[in-house]
Amino acid sequence: MQRIVATYHRLLADDPELTMPMATIEALIEALGASSATTVFETMKLVEGQSERLRESPQVANPMAVCHGSDFFKQYLVRELRQLPSSAGAASKDQQFEEIRQHLLRNARLFATRAKESREQIASEGRLLIPDNSTILTHGGSRVVSMLLGRAAERVNGSLPRRFKVIYAISESRRAESERAVATLREKGIRVAIIPEGGVAHIMQQVNIVIVGAEVITAQGGIISRLGTYQIAKLAKIDRKPFYVAAEQHKLGQTFPTSQFNYGVPAFKQDLLDFQSNKSPNGNVANGLTADEKRAIEVQSANPVDFTPPDLITNFICDHGIKSTVAMEHQVIDMFVS
Amino acid sequence: MPHRGIHPRRVVPKTGRSSMSTASNEPPAEVKPKSAEKAQDTPATTPAPTNGEPQAQGEKAAPPAAPKLSNAELKAKAKAEKQARRAQAKAAQNAAPGGGSTPTSAGQSGPQVTEPKGNKAKGKPDGGRPADSGATGKAVGSKGSIPAPLPKPEGLIPECFSHLSMAKRLPITQADKDVHPTVLAIGQKMAIFGIDESIARLEATLLAFKKVIESYTTPPGNTLARHLTPHVLNPQIEYLSACRPMCFSMGNAIRWLKLQVSKIDPDVPDSEAKKLLCSSIDAFIQERIKFADVVITEKAADCVQDKSVVLVYGRSSLVEASLLLAHSKGKKFDVIIIDDPSEQKGQILAKTLIEKGIRVTYSGDFGALQSHVELANIVLLGSEGMFSNGALYGRAGTCDVAIAAKDHGKQVYTLCETINITERVSTDSLTFNEIHPDHCSSKSFRLLYDTTPSDYLSIVITEISSAQPTSVSYLLRKLEDSN
Repeated sequence: MQRIVATYHRLLADDPELTMPMATIEALIEALGASSATTVFETMKLVEGQSERLRESPQVANPMAVCHGSDFFKQYLVRELRQLPSSAGAASKDQQFEEIRQHLLRNARLFATRAKESREQIASEGRLLIPDNSTILTHGGSRVVSMLLGRAAERVNGSLPRRFKVIYAISESRRAESERAVATLREKGIRVAIIPEGGVAHIMQQVNIVIVGAEVITAQGGIISRLGTYQIAKLAKIDRKPFYVAAEQHKLGQTFPTSQFNYGVPAFKQDLLDFQSNKSPNGNVANGLTADEKRAIEVQSANPVDFTPPDLITNFICDHGIKSTVAMEHQVIDMFVS
Repeated sequence: MPHRGIHPRRVVPKTGRSSMSTASNEPPAEVKPKSAEKAQDTPATTPAPTNGEPQAQGEKAAPPAAPKLSNAELKAKAKAEKQARRAQAKAAQNAAPGGGSTPTSAGQSGPQVTEPKGNKAKGKPDGGRPADSGATGKAVGSKGSIPAPLPKPEGLIPECFSHLSMAKRLPITQADKDVHPTVLAIGQKMAIFGIDESIARLEATLLAFKKVIESYTTPPGNTLARHLTPHVLNPQIEYLSACRPMCFSMGNAIRWLKLQVSKIDPDVPDSEAKKLLCSSIDAFIQERIKFADVVITEKAADCVQDKSVVLVYGRSSLVEASLLLAHSKGKKFDVIIIDDPSEQKGQILAKTLIEKGIRVTYSGDFGALQSHVELANIVLLGSEGMFSNGALYGRAGTCDVAIAAKDHGKQVYTLCETINITERVSTDSLTFNEIHPDHCSSKSFRLLYDTTPSDYLSIVITEISSAQPTSVSYLLRKLEDSN
């Protein structure tokens, strides 16, 4: 049954503003509504099974985001369960759980709405970080960063618009996406320059701050983001420019990447290295892989990401304020250790 | 290469003479009255990681002095007198059958080593940890032959290192009469490093304390919650820390155990209270040791990648288990073992790994450390403890390996059970350490541990979460909140 995967993709396609962890949560809620699970145990098992199916699916571009979304949702369920009065018997507990379930189904969109609100929150937090007459470097198609920059150029509650310029690093493989983002910013009257990713080191001297988005915030306070982020972070570090990450808190999770080639999630199979020569035109397309595995490598390598370790990140711009990488790590511990 | 964190593995004292001369006037260790030894002990133990002892002494002093004396000094004095009397009586007893030194030395070498073993089999129903099977047998054999009566060690160590503690080879005959036979046995075993790793010592201690509690009956007119800790547990703890300074995990666990005892309702009947305590000890072992090890091993095995090279230092049972698990999961990897030349436990690890078909490079010392590190992809380190500032307390030499790895940009993974995390903080290797009793002369002595600053570690893997080393204190707080 691949229904959950189809739902996930439909949700992402329907709402371009939806993040991957949120789409995971909504897909799980939908699966919950379609099921006949009535007890706590059945429900948890269902959520577990469905999220595993989604995570392992070869169609999913970033299994880590799925991981984080489903962990977040499971944690939410567990927390709700804990709050139930323990004096009641098991039967009535299940009954109370049914109420939670109904509440969840009725308010399925609430998660997504809240997530969008948090994006607004980030925009108002990040606004203050932009120095006057500054130049900001960014890249990728992050919706949070677009909103942040857009809001900063507006008059908000009587505070004047921020004056700043933007340098947008554009990667050839994702040109359309970046150009759309650039067009939106230019519409708002922000002056935007475009450079290829190879030119980042060259222009870094002109940059005051770097702001990027993230797909996933890892357990040690690093980020998984569009390919190229790591490189920009390293270059910013060398020139000692502040490197900010604008990301919602629901992107937090327990994955613990240890290097660029070990992200701590077995389902993640990105493989960008395809060694080829004229004598062996097939490169290293390894034999012995199943069709699913090949498909997963293909899908994931089409939307490549990299890992930026926490020591390259200055601060996070979150819905609850400006947070250090250590604070993010503590938040993960808070969320999942109890 | 930065030398900030390198610590002397062999400290050569410069001012050994003056303290030597005072030491030589003192009577030999075995006939010395216990009170004198206690007095010498106290300054050394207060800063050292043997918690619970000062408190224990205070509590122990209370009963004899309680009725007439109110002053704390008087109490201490009365206690010292009492112990002096007891020790003298004991010394006389020893001297009576066959001369002063013979029984003690006899008890120290051959029979003493074997006798505790018999006791131990009785004391530990599960047959002990599999980890120390081959290793201990050899270690016991070699160390048993060492001449027993050690020279008074404090005299040899210059004063500036006098805060460092040392395992003492306390003969059984000198132990407090209240010490339970099981505890006697593990104490002896710890003193000769038969049980060496922090987590193994912790488990042995808890199992022994379970025996102690099982054989305990509350005397009439007392309650278990108030009587057990000062009169029964404290003598055991004192004896164990005299045999070998307690490690952080033991300190943590004993603090926990005392709390559990104090929580027992006085109205609960003895048998039920004992059952409760034993089951909570079992749960503690299960949760904080067994389960923790399973989780950490699993996580560490995931970190070992296919076709990679793993560098390890010495032998840690957690690291060994992780490598074996990674191998059984079908991963192909090579292992480089750097060994401590004075312990050579890495050879045991090498044999185990080779038997399983893992390719091993073994280096008996730090020669070519740089080039070995260069070849490795990751470094896996075991730990004896973890300070709350994220520094690692590990086998002497660990820091050198970590620095070399950092220099070459390699990831350093540390495996540590949360019970090993202490709330103390250390930035150097001399605040907390232990001197090896067999390598201790006025010219030089060997330290057992060193401290690796958190800068040189990438990740700490604990059972509740993998984290950056600087977040260890946060984990600790989280644990305290949830308990």
